[in-house]
Order: sequence, then C-alpha cells, then structure tokens
Amino acid sequence: MFSTVTLSLLEGFFGTLKLFSLTLLFSLPLGLLISFGSMNKNVVVRLPIRFIIWVVRGTPLMLQLLIIFYGPGIFFGVNLWGSGDAGRFTAALVAFVFNYACYFSEIFRGGIQSIPKGQYEAAAVLGLTKRQTFFRIVLLQVVKRIVPPISNEVITLVKDTSLARVIAFYEIIWEGERFIKSAGIIWPLFYTGAFYLVFSGLLTLLFGYIEKRLDYFK
Amino acid sequence: MAILEVKNIKKSFDKEEILKGISFNLEKGQTLSILGSSGSGKTTLLRCLNFLETPDDGTITVNGELLFDGANKPSKNDDLREKRLHFGMVFQQFNLFPQYTALENVILAPKLENNGRSMEEIVEEGKTLLNKMGLSDRMDNYPHQLSGGQQQRVAIARALALKPDILCFDEPTSALDPELTGEVLKVIKELADNHTTMIIVTHEIGFAREVSDEIVFMDGGVIAEQGTPAQVIDNPSNDRTRKFLANYLK
Repeated sequence: MFSTVTLSLLEGFFGTLKLFSLTLLFSLPLGLLISFGSMNKNVVVRLPIRFIIWVVRGTPLMLQLLIIFYGPGIFFGVNLWGSGDAGRFTAALVAFVFNYACYFSEIFRGGIQSIPKGQYEAAAVLGLTKRQTFFRIVLLQVVKRIVPPISNEVITLVKDTSLARVIAFYEIIWEGERFIKSAGIIWPLFYTGAFYLVFSGLLTLLFGYIEKRLDYFK
Repeated sequence: MAILEVKNIKKSFDKEEILKGISFNLEKGQTLSILGSSGSGKTTLLRCLNFLETPDDGTITVNGELLFDGANKPSKNDDLREKRLHFGMVFQQFNLFPQYTALENVILAPKLENNGRSMEEIVEEGKTLLNKMGLSDRMDNYPHQLSGGQQQRVAIARALALKPDILCFDEPTSALDPELTGEVLKVIKELADNHTTMIIVTHEIGFAREVSDEIVFMDGGVIAEQGTPAQVIDNPSNDRTRKFLANYLK
C-alpha cells in the first residue's frame, strides 16, 4: 500500500513541480520588468504599476485564481482557457506568475534602490553606459542582497501551489485527498507534507549554497 | 594655452544658488587645490566638471574643445559620456566596485572602452598602475579586504587607467582614519611631481600648500581668493580666507 501511495503522490507532485518551476521561470524576469516600471520617473507609468502591485499583493492568491479562471467566462462570455486540464493549468500558471512577479518586483526594487549612489557615479565617470552600469556593476550586487528574501518567496511558492486546487488543478494534495474517498484512508494526505518538506529542504540547501558563493565580496 | 578653462559656472539646487559664477584656468601639468568651508560649493564645482551635476550656466573648455555651454545644453546623456572621459574622478568614499578585485576595478573601464587595445596590454597597464600605487601584492584582493588607504589608492589607479586629461579628487582623505591619510597623500604628491594635471578639493591645508601650484579659496559660491600657495595660504589678502585659515590652523 505504502509504495502504491508513494507512487501516486509522486505523480501528483509532478504537477506541483511543473507549476512551481514554470512560475519561477516566468515570474522572475517579469518581476524585474515590473520593478523597472515601479521605479519609472514618469508617473503615468509608475502609478498604474504601483496600483496593480497593490491590488495583487493586497488580495488572496486563491481569489485571484478564481477570478482569472472564471472571470473571462462570467464577465466577457469568452472561454479563454479552453476546457480540460491544459486550460486549468494555463489559468493557474497565469495567476501564479502574475502574483509572484509582483512580489518579486518589490524585492528587486528594494535591492536596486539599496545600491549606493556612489556606485552609479563611479561607473558614470568611468564612461560606462547605462546598460554596462546595470549589468556589470549593479546586477550582481543586487542579486547578493536579494537572495535571502527571494529564497523566502520561493519556498512559500512550493507550498502555495496547493492553492491551485480551487480550480481543480491536479497536484499532490489533490492526489492525497483522493485516497480518502477511494480507500477510506487519510494518512496519504498527511504524507504529502513529507514531499513538501524534502523539496523545501533541498531548496534551502541550494539557496544556502548560492549565498555562500556570493560571499566573496561584501 | 590652458588645458582647462572654466567660465562663469552657475548652479542652483531648489532655488538656492550654490555656485554663483565660477571662472578659472588650469595649465597643463599643474595642480590646483580648492579650499573652503563646508557649503562653499567646492564639491559641487568638481561635480559640475565631471557632469555629475549639470551646470545651469557657463562654459567648460578642455584643450580648446568646448565641452559644455550653458547656452546650448546637451540634451542626451550619451553626449556627456565621451566628454566625461577628459576628467578622472576620485571620490571621498572611494566607490570601488565590491565584486571586482583591485586589478579588475582598474581594468574594467579600459576593457569596456574597447578601443582596439589587446587584453594583455590592458592588464599589463593595470598592473603597472597598481605597482605605482604600492599595491603590487594586493591586486587580487577584493575591496573589503583592503584598508581605506589601499582602497583609495586603487581608486586613483582606476581613474588613471583611462588617461584623463585632468584628475579630480573630492576630499580624497576625508573618509580615512588619520593614520591612513599619509599613504594617499604621498601618492597624490608623486602624481603632482610627475606633472599630472589635477584638481584637488581638500581640507588638508598643509598638504595643499605642499603640492599645489595654484590655490582657489571658495566662499559662498564664489572664488574669494586665488593665487599661489604662498599668496593664498601664507599671506591671504581676503578676510574670509584669513578667518578660514585661522580656524584650520588653530
């Protein structure tokens, strides 16, 4: 029984991992873009973006999932996500990417704004272009500063993926719950916790390693 | 002909006029020190020369080339980029790039400048500069592994690596522990002896007297007095200069 449960939970965990990794893949670069927008000198750009960040960070992710999945059909009568599992996955991914990009953007903004003005001025008097200044001077210093808060968010994301159940996205908790109905046992559901624990443990090790690798400068 | 001609530079921040029309010339190979109390505008003047601030008015001419004309201000940032390279800048807070070693700090800009020089040549030159600064055994150290004096000497090498026409110092020893100022001043003195054209904003009166060909004393956004160290420091004619020096030499 144990191995049967483990195998099917692994299958569910695959869904969790898929949502987790694709969310990271898209939300990190999108977050950087949003952070640039939220720091834009032009209020016409900055204010709407700050407003969106406020809304996204100020409402529950579960609610956002529901609105993104059902909203287009209810309000506009369009079946944006298609039917079936692929559609549910896409809707969940869009909600997660958008939500996490907003959180990441605030971390990026904090990191970028914490770089002393003197670094920009030194780069300027050395004739570096804005691009060179960002990629050669600022970026790595920002990365070093934001690794701890990013690692926090990433570990939260592992567990947040379970929220996608509200739109019937198939992941590990879903799989664990199934055993209550099909076999009358609840321990598989509790057992899912071990998967989360092991995975976030691995991530903690990975981020610890990255932090250590960036320890060569202060 | 003067290597640098500054005419009638004006600069205000929030309606407060910090520079009220500054004019001076600097001859090639000479060292000019700018003295003055805090708020007299001396750092702002230096930052205007580097275009870290854009002057409101006036002209800046280097080697006969008009770099800045207040009547016809440059609009795009990139116009300034090339022009800035006439000036090297050494900051009070060093502003080394923490993720690069001493040598990497020095060669970064020449590397990116990409003017056809080979990598070996650039590295060799960087090493030579750091040797001159007495840092031959510190090239592979990161800034946080260096003392303030060593960091400032790396910063001087970094500024020299681009071969600026004029090297500017903004209170280069103000952020240093007293026992570390000597090593930095010694390096600047050597540069002066080798006829590097320099502008030094400093509070080190004794040092300014020793290295400078010309002293400018600023007060309230204007040049109150200008001349050789013997004139301005030893025999000031202006009341405010006298008061300032009396405070410092007390």
